[in-house]
Amino acid sequence: MSSSWTALIKHTTVLFLILAIGLALVLFSIKYQVQELEGQLGQLYRQIESERRSHHILQAEWSYLTDPERLRRLADRHLDLNPLSPSQIGSFATLPHPSDLHHFDDHPGPLAPVAGIMAAPAERLTR
Amino acid sequence: MSHQSRHSRHSDQLLLPLPGGGTGRRYPAEQNRSRVLEVAHTRLVVVGLCFMLAFCAVIARLVDLAAGSDPNLGIRLAASAPWEAARGDIVDRNDVLLATSLPTRSLYADPRDVIDPEHTADRLVELFPELDRPQLLARLSGSGRFVWVRRHLTPREQHAVNRLGLPGIRFREDQQRVYPQGAVAAHVLGFTDIDSRGLAGVERHFDSTLADGESVRLCLDVRIQHIVREELAAAVREYRAIGAAGLVLDVTSGEVIAMVSLPDFDPNNRGRAGDDARFNRVTQGVYEMGSTVKLLTAAMALDSGAITLTGGYDASHPIRKGRHTIRDYHPQNRWLSVPEILVHSSNIAAAHMALDVGGAVQRMYLDQFGMLSTPTVELSEVGTPLVPGQWRDINIMTIGFGHGIAVSPLHLAQAVAAIANGGSFVPATVVARSHEDLQSRRVLSAETSRTMRALMRLNVLMGTGRRADAAGLRVGGKTGTAEKLVGGRYKRNARMSSFVGVFPIDNPRYAVLAILDEPQGNRSTHYFATGGWVAAPVVRAVAERIAPVLGIHPAETVRTAAPEATMPDGPERRRHLLLAGLRNAMADTEGWQLAPR
Repeated sequence: MSSSWTALIKHTTVLFLILAIGLALVLFSIKYQVQELEGQLGQLYRQIESERRSHHILQAEWSYLTDPERLRRLADRHLDLNPLSPSQIGSFATLPHPSDLHHFDDHPGPLAPVAGIMAAPAERLTR
Repeated sequence: MSHQSRHSRHSDQLLLPLPGGGTGRRYPAEQNRSRVLEVAHTRLVVVGLCFMLAFCAVIARLVDLAAGSDPNLGIRLAASAPWEAARGDIVDRNDVLLATSLPTRSLYADPRDVIDPEHTADRLVELFPELDRPQLLARLSGSGRFVWVRRHLTPREQHAVNRLGLPGIRFREDQQRVYPQGAVAAHVLGFTDIDSRGLAGVERHFDSTLADGESVRLCLDVRIQHIVREELAAAVREYRAIGAAGLVLDVTSGEVIAMVSLPDFDPNNRGRAGDDARFNRVTQGVYEMGSTVKLLTAAMALDSGAITLTGGYDASHPIRKGRHTIRDYHPQNRWLSVPEILVHSSNIAAAHMALDVGGAVQRMYLDQFGMLSTPTVELSEVGTPLVPGQWRDINIMTIGFGHGIAVSPLHLAQAVAAIANGGSFVPATVVARSHEDLQSRRVLSAETSRTMRALMRLNVLMGTGRRADAAGLRVGGKTGTAEKLVGGRYKRNARMSSFVGVFPIDNPRYAVLAILDEPQGNRSTHYFATGGWVAAPVVRAVAERIAPVLGIHPAETVRTAAPEATMPDGPERRRHLLLAGLRNAMADTEGWQLAPR
């Protein structure tokens, strides 16, 4: 009984030693992994922060560039458009019946301007 | 549990004999030996258990480190970022950025580390000529540890300063308030000082909210704001006015969609703005509004039952009261019915009407219309109305046609919105708010509101407001022209010309107000500078341009033929014309047979 008891103790010591070494190795590797991940996380946070900052600045710039006053200036210079007037707004009720559509050229109705565009040379529309 | 109790029993037996070694009983040797063994065994188990517990703790911590993450890590890292502390943004109802804070760097000096203040000051003044050398030198030679040199440097300037390599001169992270859209909503936004503390407008009213980094969303629509500003500026140029005020108000929610005061300023460059430019004519300025107030007089007269729509007053003679004489600007010199009073904007009849309403009732209604108290709009610049101390007959009469009481344009717009929206007064706001927060109080009956809408439409169809009739948009409203009080006397040819309109009148959604300050008539207006000539066209232009943006469809009511056109001039024809006008105004107000254009 006493010999098997000492053998058991001996084995247990070895077993625990191996276990301790194994655990220490695992612990260290995990610790380094955690450190590395923490570093990555920090970097990501800094990156998010800098992205957020540039997003913020870009938003301000977008607002500056889409200032209605500036858009009007640009539209005056580059586009051949005028502000919309109520007379340009129609509804389905004012449209001719589809069966009348082929009479465009004979009867200039409410759709005459549209017909004018349709008759315009293709290169003018796609310019 | 059982283990624990056994253990304690053993310890008792172990410990008992020891203190009094000689006094206890003697045990046989054999019995003693097994007892010692048992004690040793127990101790081993206890120590083993302790180790096991310690190992369990180590394993648990390992698992925790490997599987879980540090919950404070993210907070720690985010807190180290300086940008979180920035002042909140101000955006419009469509989230267009109107005010924001951008990161900049500012230059400061630590005088203790400045070795040669003379040399340092020379170099810095070379780089920034606007710095005052003696002042800078005094600050650099001072005893403190921190003095500002220059705020908000551009990257190029930062580079130049770095190249100088001056000891004791350092940079500090800073933030600068920026208004990307410039002057377009200057009076609503206000501005901040160099340390981003709100000094005016929304910036000041919501200073603590914004300072906490929270954003503020306005109900302003910057597109509408721009249109109103552009049209008003065009009118100011054309009629050489010294200023103008414009307002677009949602009549049901009280939301300010646009608020323009001219001249205005660029909040990015507020240092250059004069006092006149910073003055908000819409909320801060109080003026005698003139004839537009007749809408209120008519509404309270109809609502209180002092008169009915078919009633009227004799306006053939000016009223003389003490040293005052009340005259008409467009004298008709005859009896006028209620619709005619508004169409011809008769001061005499409005004064009679106000007397019929009575001072107490008039005051009660004005109070209900918010005309006697400071508006609750979320701006730091709001004007308090000027109200007569004593409410005598002459005051009742002059207030009836808009003199003797001075209110801000915002007051007037709020009251007209209440008249048109079915009779509920809703205080104006510049902040987007949910419909649950809406506080309104009933001022007029729905019936009175309906009648008033028809009368407003009539005024645009055949009265002084004809030039406000935007095609298909069914504008109703009233003109006003008041001579300005300068030093206690009315100044000739210095007028406030206004028009307040509501559209579409069959389903009122927006109140539009335009006021020109001291406009001069020109050839195109036959040298008239009254509200009907100079302000009404602004409202028409604004309505035409904002209707497509706000989703209001142009439509027209079907008109009946007018046989009156061929009748000879006289009372009979006038009566027919008025009836036809009323019929059309009613048709527009009720939306009878509304047909798309």
